[in-house]
Amino acid sequence: MAEQVEVAVVGAGPGGLSAALAAAQAGAQVTLVEGYGRPGGQYFRQMAAEFQLRDPLRHQREGRALWEKVLAAGARFLPDTIVWGAFEGNLLALQGPQGPPALEAQAVILATGAYDRPVAFPGWTLPGVMTAGAAQALLKQQCILPGKRILLAGTGPLQFVLAADLVHAGANVVAVLEGARFFGKASRRAGALWGQWERVAEGLSSRLILLRRGVPFRPGWGIVAAHGTDQVESATIARLDSQWRHTPDSEETLACDTLCLGYGFIPSNTLSRLLGAKQEWRPDLGGEVPLRDRHMQTSLPGVYAVGDGAGVGGGPLALVEGRIAGIAAAARTGHHASEAEKAIRRLAPVLARERRFQRMYAALFTPGPGVYEWSRDDTILCRCEEVPQAHVRRTVALGAGSANEVKAITRCGMGDCQGRMCAHLVAHCIAREMGRPVAEIGLFRPRPPIFPIPIAALGRQSANAVVGAVTEVARR
Amino acid sequence: MSTSRKMGAEVVVVGGGIIGCAAAYYLARRGVKVVLLEKSVVGGEASGRNGGGVRAQCRERRERPLAIASIKLWVGLQAELGFDVEYVQGGNIRLATNEERMATLRRESEEELEDGLVVDLWDRDELRRLTPYLSDDFIGAKYCPSDGTANPILASRAFGWAAKREGVTLLTQTEAVNIGVHTGRVASVTARGKDGEVLIEAPWVIHAGGPWTPQLSRTLGIQAPIEPARSTIAITQRMPFLFKEFISSHDMGVYARQAREGRVHIGGVGAPPGTFDQDVPAATIAHLARGAAQMLPGLCGANFLRTWSGTLEVTPDKVPIIDHVDGIRGYVLASGFSGHGFCLGPIAGKLLSELIVDGEPSLPLHEFRLSRFEHPAGQPEASPHE
Repeated sequence: MAEQVEVAVVGAGPGGLSAALAAAQAGAQVTLVEGYGRPGGQYFRQMAAEFQLRDPLRHQREGRALWEKVLAAGARFLPDTIVWGAFEGNLLALQGPQGPPALEAQAVILATGAYDRPVAFPGWTLPGVMTAGAAQALLKQQCILPGKRILLAGTGPLQFVLAADLVHAGANVVAVLEGARFFGKASRRAGALWGQWERVAEGLSSRLILLRRGVPFRPGWGIVAAHGTDQVESATIARLDSQWRHTPDSEETLACDTLCLGYGFIPSNTLSRLLGAKQEWRPDLGGEVPLRDRHMQTSLPGVYAVGDGAGVGGGPLALVEGRIAGIAAAARTGHHASEAEKAIRRLAPVLARERRFQRMYAALFTPGPGVYEWSRDDTILCRCEEVPQAHVRRTVALGAGSANEVKAITRCGMGDCQGRMCAHLVAHCIAREMGRPVAEIGLFRPRPPIFPIPIAALGRQSANAVVGAVTEVARR
Repeated sequence: MSTSRKMGAEVVVVGGGIIGCAAAYYLARRGVKVVLLEKSVVGGEASGRNGGGVRAQCRERRERPLAIASIKLWVGLQAELGFDVEYVQGGNIRLATNEERMATLRRESEEELEDGLVVDLWDRDELRRLTPYLSDDFIGAKYCPSDGTANPILASRAFGWAAKREGVTLLTQTEAVNIGVHTGRVASVTARGKDGEVLIEAPWVIHAGGPWTPQLSRTLGIQAPIEPARSTIAITQRMPFLFKEFISSHDMGVYARQAREGRVHIGGVGAPPGTFDQDVPAATIAHLARGAAQMLPGLCGANFLRTWSGTLEVTPDKVPIIDHVDGIRGYVLASGFSGHGFCLGPIAGKLLSELIVDGEPSLPLHEFRLSRFEHPAGQPEASPHE
């Protein structure tokens, strides 16, 4: 049966840790749920236990410190626990080795993060093609090099950081392709870097490493295709125009065995959608994100969303958003309510500084609409169900005009990843075919369980729950 | 902002589910000019969200001839419509965990054999031998080899696509809001879509609005005793081939079929009535998980991948209304299929077309009159929604 809690925080990345800390420090009873075994999320990603003897990186040190404060403040941590559904009344359904099957929370803080944006082009399903996030996880968590000759393609300074880490670990980085072309735009926005000294330093030092090692950096270039039979052997690249479409006659081919793609992130907003929070389409924030007020509260009272899952903005923004939501959620459950407003106002300057940085970052590094035109008719859009682009286009021609309708007919998004990979690819394909804005097409409707969950575990839920459901229906 | 358009047709079909689409298709095949109005998308509601069972066994006696005739149409549907609807005659197994249930199945089988439906009763040993994948809890079953399954999403839409190909004007995202009557006969239908209002003049209306039927029929002063009910299905991840039959147990409250791509669909027998809500409650997922694991022990190690709900409609006797309505000439109700509309869709569509074109359908429909509810007899046992 569901356990009653005051504040439930979903996700133990910077946003979730910071929210849990603020709420617990204010005196709220906090349960922090994390799908992985250790806290930190992508930003503070901790090494696997086997490698913990090595000197941790700076982010890892910071994450560890924050984590220790969260525990000291008295928050309960449920690791390896998946939130597979969110139901009316702030009911979160859990699946994990310990803890209750469900939490019924007075306040829910969603800090679900973001995942790498898939970009489809001929050959993108070949072994050796991976997301920058996957490469980083291999390197940071498992100390594994993803390949020997690595081509990075994507956008944003995180590419420098990954490339520098890869070079440092002994890989040959063939080139770093940056989709954006900066001239003029960057200098106009440089003011937003004021106060972001750590970021500037990190970016510069990574860039310097690459310069010193002679790694070519090519702004305004992108991927056309990956080639190989069982494995990537080479990649064709091309110059991009301002919309990130390929420029004719600019193609080159580079030999490589690994392709790391970092075309930004897509916010994980499934739980807030399941609960029914209002969403808006914001390409600059990564896609669809929940609407929020100053307290990070969504359109649903008592449901908060922070960090990349509510709009991609990076770790430091997640930290301050988490803190605000933690204070507000604690106040909602009756803790330090009188001081909450003042405490939140005190955070306004930090929030404003990080939002400025977020806007600058989005202006520079939001992939142009052209990346969604790199696929061809025989390119697979839905990997789980192996649906090629041509099938989606045919279905639109038959009259299907929404993501859900295309899903029903083509099976796109019905696979094990629940559409996380193909949702944006399919939405953009439909939008292009119909000549309508992608915001009008929308994403697949989420359905619980949002991750595959063992039937045996689901059935173990108390029989009382069923009785409860029957009476609930009778009451209606 | 509402611009008003005018159109003409011989028949307006209200509702783009499998009943409405099949009716429109068979009418168009007979050369009738049809406009079909659908408030949302074709096959988007119960027609595309059901368990995919196509069975004649375990039907109420009135429905049985229709089900038998419909299955004859199902067999040729892929060739007829030109789309693969994943129809398979894999058989239907109705299970019993107790003697009382077994006695009911035995009684039913006598009636079914009398009506020309081939069914077989299996005792515990036959059940073990023929269906080793089923739980030991079952003591016997009734089996109908000519029953089967199809893909609801594709089958309902295939009727829509084929209807369009045959010349039906399909107006989706367009909701019928009023039926105009002139001197006791249907004269027009007014509908509202995103491009404004449209008025279709026609002497015939087939009203196949499923659970949304009563609100429109009420504008004609007709009370259709139809209630909405939620039906929920959960599916597993892809699995190796386990079984080809449609299996159900009323004692455990679940049914199952394995779709072509390998996922097992688990549905609940007996949908909670009175709600249009399509959210899936956590408790329902738990119920389906327990039922699935109990009925098919092989699923214990499997994962549920997704669930969804649909809204079906039920009448007091769980049998549809397919009828001219007294007092309004040209108004034909085809609704209240009570979870049986997917199987009955093809024959219902065909009979409706005959009713209008020939004046007399090839199977009698008088048992399906709306007026039967004015003199209610005893209510039969609830039947499952498949």
